[in-house]
Amino acid sequence: MADQKGSKPLMTGYMMSTQLMEVDGCNRCQECMKWCPTFAVRQDRPGITPMYKNAKWRELMAKSQSLRAKIFGPKPLNDDEMKQFTEDTYSCTTCGVCGTVCEAGIRTVELWEAMRPNLVKRGDGPMGKQSFFPKLLKSDRNPYQAKQEDRLCWVPKDIKIQESGELFYFAGCTAAYRQQALGVATVRILDNLGADFAMLGKDEWCCASALVRTGQREIMAEHAVHNVDALKDRGAKNVLFACAGCLRNAAVDWPMWYEGYIPYETMPLSVFLREKIRKGEVEYKIPLNYRFTYHDPCHNGRHLMHLKGKDWAFEAARDCIQSIPGVKFQDMVRNRALQRCCGAGGGVKAGIPDLAMDCAKARVQDATDIQAEVIASTCPFCRLNLIDGRNSAQSPIKMVDVVEMMAASMGLDTTIPENPYTKFQSQDVLVCSPAECKLDTVERKEPGKDLVGEAH
Amino acid sequence: MAFYTLGLTFNLVIVLTVIVLGIWAYGIYFNFKKWGLGSTGYHDQLRNSFWLFLATWIHEAFKDGVWVFLRTAILDVLLLRRTLARSPVRWVMHMSMFYGFLMLAALSGLGLMLDIIEHFNLIGLAHQAEIVKEALSLPFDLFGYLLLIGTIIALSRRILLKFVRDNTTAYDAFLIGAVFLITITGFYAEWMRGNAFLLGNAFEYPIYAPHFALIHTVLALGLFCFVLPWSKYIHVIATPMTLLANRGGE
Repeated sequence: MADQKGSKPLMTGYMMSTQLMEVDGCNRCQECMKWCPTFAVRQDRPGITPMYKNAKWRELMAKSQSLRAKIFGPKPLNDDEMKQFTEDTYSCTTCGVCGTVCEAGIRTVELWEAMRPNLVKRGDGPMGKQSFFPKLLKSDRNPYQAKQEDRLCWVPKDIKIQESGELFYFAGCTAAYRQQALGVATVRILDNLGADFAMLGKDEWCCASALVRTGQREIMAEHAVHNVDALKDRGAKNVLFACAGCLRNAAVDWPMWYEGYIPYETMPLSVFLREKIRKGEVEYKIPLNYRFTYHDPCHNGRHLMHLKGKDWAFEAARDCIQSIPGVKFQDMVRNRALQRCCGAGGGVKAGIPDLAMDCAKARVQDATDIQAEVIASTCPFCRLNLIDGRNSAQSPIKMVDVVEMMAASMGLDTTIPENPYTKFQSQDVLVCSPAECKLDTVERKEPGKDLVGEAH
Repeated sequence: MAFYTLGLTFNLVIVLTVIVLGIWAYGIYFNFKKWGLGSTGYHDQLRNSFWLFLATWIHEAFKDGVWVFLRTAILDVLLLRRTLARSPVRWVMHMSMFYGFLMLAALSGLGLMLDIIEHFNLIGLAHQAEIVKEALSLPFDLFGYLLLIGTIIALSRRILLKFVRDNTTAYDAFLIGAVFLITITGFYAEWMRGNAFLLGNAFEYPIYAPHFALIHTVLALGLFCFVLPWSKYIHVIATPMTLLANRGGE
C-alpha cells in the first residue's frame, strides 16, 4: 500500500495554474516567518512556515516535473517526506497574515486551501479528527451530531422569527448548539431594534467551512448550494452573520460553488448594529466597567478586507464596543490586518489541538500584556479556542462576544431557554442586574458528542 | 579596445548569444508548461496546457480592468510597494538590485546592437555607433554601482542579522553569492580597461581586461540561461507575474 502511494506523483489538479506560479513566486524574503502564529509557538519547525512550504512543494513537484525528471524519468515520492509535508501543510490555521505581508503578493490562504485537497486526493491528508467532518456533515448537516429540527430550540418564546423576508440571521452551528448565549443575544437585539428578521431553521445547514479549510471538498457543493437556494427561495436581500467563519464561507466560498445569481448581500452583524447605533436606535442602560480589547477574527478581518473593505472588516466591531458606556478599550499590539490568529482555524483545532492551544495561549498573553480584563470578538470559534487557551494558561481573562456585550448593556434578558443542548454550553457570560453587569463563566455540565469541534 | 579574445570572433559571439537566448526562452516555456498543470479556475477541470496557463494568467491579471493592471504594474512591480510597506532597508536593496540588473541588461542589449551596427556598418553608422558605445560607459558604471549597493546590503543582511542568517539556505547563498561575483567581476573588468568612473586608471591592466570581461560575461549569461529558468530563481519572472495576476495581492 505504501509503495502504491509512494509511486503516485504529487497531485496538482486542485491548484489553479496561477497558483502553481505563485509557489515559484516566493522570493524567500522571510517576512512571513516573522508573523506566522504557528511558527511563533513552534520555533523548532520552520517547515510549517509559508516560505519553507513553498520550497518543499517545489522540491516535491520537481521529482516528476523538472527537466531532470523529463530526461531521466521521475523519482518516486518518499512516504516519510510526504507525511512530514502533510503535517506541515496542515499545521497552518489559514489565518492569512503571511499573505498580508507577502512581498510577492501571494494569496496564501487560497494557496494552502488548494494544496490540501491534492494531499487528500493522494491519500496523505487530512489530519487526525478532521477526517470526520465529511461524514458528520453528510449525515447530520452539522458537526455536533445535533438534530436539524433543533436549530431554533434556543430561541426565546417571545421572539418572533419570520420564515421568510428580506433580512435574515444565519446563526451557524456553534451559536445554535454550543454557544447559545450568542444566538439569544443576537435575536434579542434584533427584536429590540424592531428588525423584522427571518431564520432558516432546520433548513440552515452548516456553512461547511471545515471542509474547505481542510481540503475535503466533496460535499461542500451540497451545503453551499442548499444554503444559497434556501436563502434565495425565502426572499433574502441581506443576510446577517454573528459568526466570522460562516460569514467568510458565505461571502467567499459559497459563490464559488454556486452557479446562479446570488441576490442577497452578506453582512457582519456588527456592521448592521453600528448603523443602528449611528442612527441613535440603540439605547444602553447598564455600563460595562471593564478593560476590553478586541481580537480580530481572521475570517471576518483579513479574509474579508479585500471584499468588504477594511471599515467593515476591522472598524465596525470596534465602533460597537466603544459605543458601550463604561467600556475602557485598548487594542493589542498586533491588531487589524496584522493580528495574531487564535490558532483554531484551518482545521488545526480538530487536527492538531495542542498547536491550537499554544497559539491561543500566545494570543491570551497578547491581551494580558496590555492589562485587558476581557477579550471581545465576533467569532464563536475564536472564543472557544481562546477560552481553552485561557484555561490552560490559568489566566483570569474573560472572552465575550461583541453582540453579548451590547445586549447586556442594553439591559436585555439573555437567559437561554432550557433545551436539549443547555447542558453542553460552556462560555463566559455577562450576568446583569439593573445597575451593573458582572462576568461569569458557565461550565459545561456534560461533554456532549463533540467528536470534533467545528473548524472555521 | 578589443573585446573579443581567446579565439572568440564577432560571429561566434552572435551565435552564442542566440543559443543563450534560446535556452532561456525554452526555460521560460518549460516553466509556463509546468504551471499549466494546474486548472484554469477554482475546481475547474485540468487542461495541462502552456497556452491555457497564459490565458488564465491574462484573465486573472486583467480581471479588474486595464487601469488596475497598470496601477499594479507601476506601484507593485516597478516601485515594489509591498516591500516598502514591510521594510525600507529591503526596499532599497531590492530597488537597487532590480534597477541595477534591469538597466545593465538593457545597456548590454543596446551595446550588442551597437556592435552589430558597427561591425556591418549598417546604414553607414559605424562611427556613430562607436561614439554612442563610448558614451554608455558612464551609465554602465552608475547602474553597476547601484547593483553593487544592493548586493552589499543583501550580503550584509544575510551575514549580520541572526534570524535571516539562520534561515539562509544554500540556494539563497548561491544566488546572492553569484550576483555579487558577477557584479564584482564586471567592475574589475571595467577597472582593468582603465578610465573607470571614480577610480580613473588605478587598476588599469589592458592586456587582461578582455579576458576578465569574458569571465564576467560567461558568469552573467550562465546565471541568466542555465540557472535562472531552471531553479527557484525563476522567482525573478514569477514574482512580478504573481503580483500582476493577484492585482498586487490586495
